[in-house]
Amino acid sequence: MSIFDDRAAEVLQSLPYLLQGLGVTISVTLLALLLGGLIGLMGALARVYGAAPLRAAAAAYSRTIRSLPLLVILFFLYFLGSDIYEMSVFTSMVLALGIHTSAYQEGIFRAGIQSIERGQSEAAAAIGMTPFQNFFTIVLPQALRRCIPYWGNEAAIVLKDSSLAYVLGLTELMRRGQYVISRTHQAFLTYLIIGLIYLILTLVLTRGLSYMEKRVKIPG
Amino acid sequence: MDDQWAFFLRILPELWEGLKMSMYLSVGALSLGLVIGLPLALVKTYGHGVLRFVVTAYIEVVRGTPMVVQLFMVYFGLPELGIVIDRVPAAIIALAVNSSAYQAEYFRGAILSVSEGQYAAGRAIGMSQGQAVLHIILPQALRIVIPPWSNEMVYMVKYTSIAFLIAVPELMAQGQVIITRTFRPMETLFWVGLLYVIVLAILSQIVDWIETRVRIPGYQSDRRG
Amino acid sequence: MTKSIVSIRNLHKSYGKVPVLNDFSLDVYPNEVVVVIGPSGTGKSTLLRCINYLTPFDSGEIHLDGQKIDPRKTNLNHVRQQIGMVFQDFNLFNHMSAFHNVAVGLVKVKRVNRGEARSRALDELERVGMLQYKDQYPAELSGGQKQRVAIARALAMNPKIMLFDEPTSALDPELIEEVLAVMKSLAAAGMTMVVVSHEMSFAREAADRIVFMDQGAIAEMGSPSELFANPHKERTRQFLSKLGYRENERKDESDG
Repeated sequence: MSIFDDRAAEVLQSLPYLLQGLGVTISVTLLALLLGGLIGLMGALARVYGAAPLRAAAAAYSRTIRSLPLLVILFFLYFLGSDIYEMSVFTSMVLALGIHTSAYQEGIFRAGIQSIERGQSEAAAAIGMTPFQNFFTIVLPQALRRCIPYWGNEAAIVLKDSSLAYVLGLTELMRRGQYVISRTHQAFLTYLIIGLIYLILTLVLTRGLSYMEKRVKIPG
Repeated sequence: MDDQWAFFLRILPELWEGLKMSMYLSVGALSLGLVIGLPLALVKTYGHGVLRFVVTAYIEVVRGTPMVVQLFMVYFGLPELGIVIDRVPAAIIALAVNSSAYQAEYFRGAILSVSEGQYAAGRAIGMSQGQAVLHIILPQALRIVIPPWSNEMVYMVKYTSIAFLIAVPELMAQGQVIITRTFRPMETLFWVGLLYVIVLAILSQIVDWIETRVRIPGYQSDRRG
Repeated sequence: MTKSIVSIRNLHKSYGKVPVLNDFSLDVYPNEVVVVIGPSGTGKSTLLRCINYLTPFDSGEIHLDGQKIDPRKTNLNHVRQQIGMVFQDFNLFNHMSAFHNVAVGLVKVKRVNRGEARSRALDELERVGMLQYKDQYPAELSGGQKQRVAIARALAMNPKIMLFDEPTSALDPELIEEVLAVMKSLAAAGMTMVVVSHEMSFAREAADRIVFMDQGAIAEMGSPSELFANPHKERTRQFLSKLGYRENERKDESDG
């Protein structure tokens, strides 16, 4: 059976319908990245500057989350949410994906902060900066620049993993693809197109970030 | 609490079957991924022309698309082209293809981190390019690659859970079966999650132990962040 | 006239538009020690790397033992076995003990049987005074010790000529002598050597010829006594006076 028959044309005609799922895919991705970034940054601060118990707690959190498949976290939150708060599946997905990525972003931010030479914060302290000023004006701006390539990889992973939201019935790209397939019975072509859309998205994301990395690069 | 424990003991046999399947998928995917990924890394590093371009494109495409799309492509898409693959091998192939691209990048990074002088010194005593790569570069790169490879291993073990979407009876799928039967989703998922945590802790320990065993005396004292 | 071991003829090499070697020619004769000096960036290291084809050059010829090397016809791996090379930053194989660093070329390249490779490797380690460190890994050795093992590694291949690329410039001052001592004993034993180095004590004691290189070519050449006592060119004089400053300092130390 050729993939270039009438039903193939039908798949291509469904492209606008597929692309309508982009909104959900992108908003899930961005919200999860934001949530994961906030938790991750706090975790990194706790592990670098925190007292021993806080350090241990943050480390245990990261280690545990990194060992849990996204699907386990997702279903757990889904059942928890539907049991107690009548949480929407969109919220479940954002929370699950955000928590999952937070453990990885914590590692990225921590490595970035620790890569800044001690002399930088010593020099800041020597001119009378408070620890707070020191961190936000001297250490963090340098650390974040070094994080960009690693953060870009993680962002691409979050974008791709957002496709798992379809299991909860969220009508993002993947789910819409399955509707197209049940109508056209063209799984190969449909997944090819969906794969291509994700490929373009990840390329835009990573190229965009590496452009940004060059823009904010410290001269020399 | 006693009730929880009794519940766990009751579902353990089923979870254990699932865990064995998860491990089977992981080992299959990681080893096949290694067998594909290492040559890809060599071609991307030392190759040129069309071959290098094809390999680079393969790596970019695989890394740019979701795991679940790759899985469905193999299991639902390929049959339309006349290639029908059983669910378990389909899952292993999809996971292995995904892993091969990441492993290729890790191997390449490790190869490039071995200094140029090592290669030059090998050539200077008369080694061919192949000998210098085989005897000088790879033994060092394979040590350097262990920490990132360990990360990849964790990712793969976790990603085997999506095989449940094509009804492979691995740990996640067994959990779902139990949930539908018992209507105790939270407890079930807790135990499923705990099994993943325990298994991954053990596997990471083993890899760490291997890394220590093969460590070059006095060299690369601690690369882990 | 004796036949040269290495004959370099009209070598040209540039990196992009920057010429590094500019019509460079030199013959090195059996048992001769040639020390190459000159300002940094004048192509001294490139010259050595061109001799064993680690760096390809644009035009010119290199003859080894009277045979022209044609990279398309000659097996370069075979050529390199006959030319020992010692690097500035040692480049000992990180993942091998001192012993294996010396033995690996014999086993993998020359395909010598293991027993013979073992005894020859141990002999070479003894020759550079490193026998007792044979099981240490590079990261466990001092710079001077690493360089001595690197010399043994090159010697194990039984080369016709040894090239030294600033062998002591990555070393702490107190470690330089142990490496120079090994090199001097090699010279005394009749090894043919081309040495890029600014160690004047070595040049004075061991060199048969000093080549002063400037801008990719030989600016001046002669025996140590000629060149040091009576340089003809102003550039040579200036360069030597800069080195002389360091040399006098050393003398003061040994006098005191």
